Amino acid sequence: MTDDDLDQRLRASILSEDVDTTRLAAAVRNQIYSRRYRGLRWVLAAAASISLAIAVSFAYRVFFVPPPVCVAAVQDHEREIVKGNPRPWLVDLSAIQSLGAKQGVPASVIAVLGTTGYRLERGRLCFLKKQIYLHLVYSKDGAEYSVYLRPLTGETPFQRSIREVSIGAEDSAYFQTNQLTAVFVASHSAGAAATFARAGAKVLQGLPS
Amino acid sequence: MPQLAALLRVARRLTPEPASAEDLVQETMLLAWRGFRGFQSGTNARAWLFRIMFNVFHGQGRRELRSPEFPSPDVRPMFQEAVEIAEALQALSLEQRTVLLLCVVEGFTCREAAGILDLPIGTVMSRLSRARRELRESLAPMAKEAYR
Repeated sequence: MTDDDLDQRLRASILSEDVDTTRLAAAVRNQIYSRRYRGLRWVLAAAASISLAIAVSFAYRVFFVPPPVCVAAVQDHEREIVKGNPRPWLVDLSAIQSLGAKQGVPASVIAVLGTTGYRLERGRLCFLKKQIYLHLVYSKDGAEYSVYLRPLTGETPFQRSIREVSIGAEDSAYFQTNQLTAVFVASHSAGAAATFARAGAKVLQGLPS
Repeated sequence: MPQLAALLRVARRLTPEPASAEDLVQETMLLAWRGFRGFQSGTNARAWLFRIMFNVFHGQGRRELRSPEFPSPDVRPMFQEAVEIAEALQALSLEQRTVLLLCVVEGFTCREAAGILDLPIGTVMSRLSRARRELRESLAPMAKEAYR
């Protein structure tokens, strides 16, 4: 028997047998699909975890971390009003309105805030978070309140409702209109800043844009 | 699914049970699917699949322990030769059987078989030669009867 005869018989014998791969092919397909979807499940789980982490972080920042401008306003109020650092203040209404107008805060804003039952005492410019604010000091029933105003220049207001933030012993409230950002700070009783802010928001939102 | 039958045909002669052969081929196909990025297009996909299968087989510690089951002695005469060839093939060492299956049955060249088995080509050629000789000796009585 030559090599060729032997090879031919061996080949013929083995290749003639019936090889049914139906079940095997189905098993392979099942394995591939299950592994593919197992990978997809991991991806989905990871995406869900990341989304949850982002949502929690966002919620924490929105609901628990005080806005930086409120923190800066409270620190400024503490320094300038509570501790009473000696600073030059303007006390004349028209001078304050003129100063505000130069910074883009309309005189009408200062005027309508005076209709809320709070009395304007003095005003000056200050920096909060590297931005210039008009700092107005109001009084009512012997207590002093700080109001910080800055015009919105090309920004979209994102805090239309009043947000109350307590930082240490100070109480602050913060909101934005189409025209400006307003931060109210009080240190004598809880909710005092928010009360003033609500009154202020009411009159400021009635102003023409 | 391409090459499944060829892989299964060889796997059945490497492993002791049909289920083990199917497991071996299944694992081979899954590894091929997972490692398909590693396959270089334009190269021999068939040889690549067989190489994966032999890697899996050797990785499993060559579970070939006993021969596959064959039909009972009262098989039909036309089936008799296939049974004897299968028995003679199974009597060979695993190394010899492997090169016979790859080079003779599956039609790989000695160089391709050497690549699949990760062996020098000279080793494949000498194993092939020895395998043919031993197979011929095992089948000699049958050949005499056939030529009588």
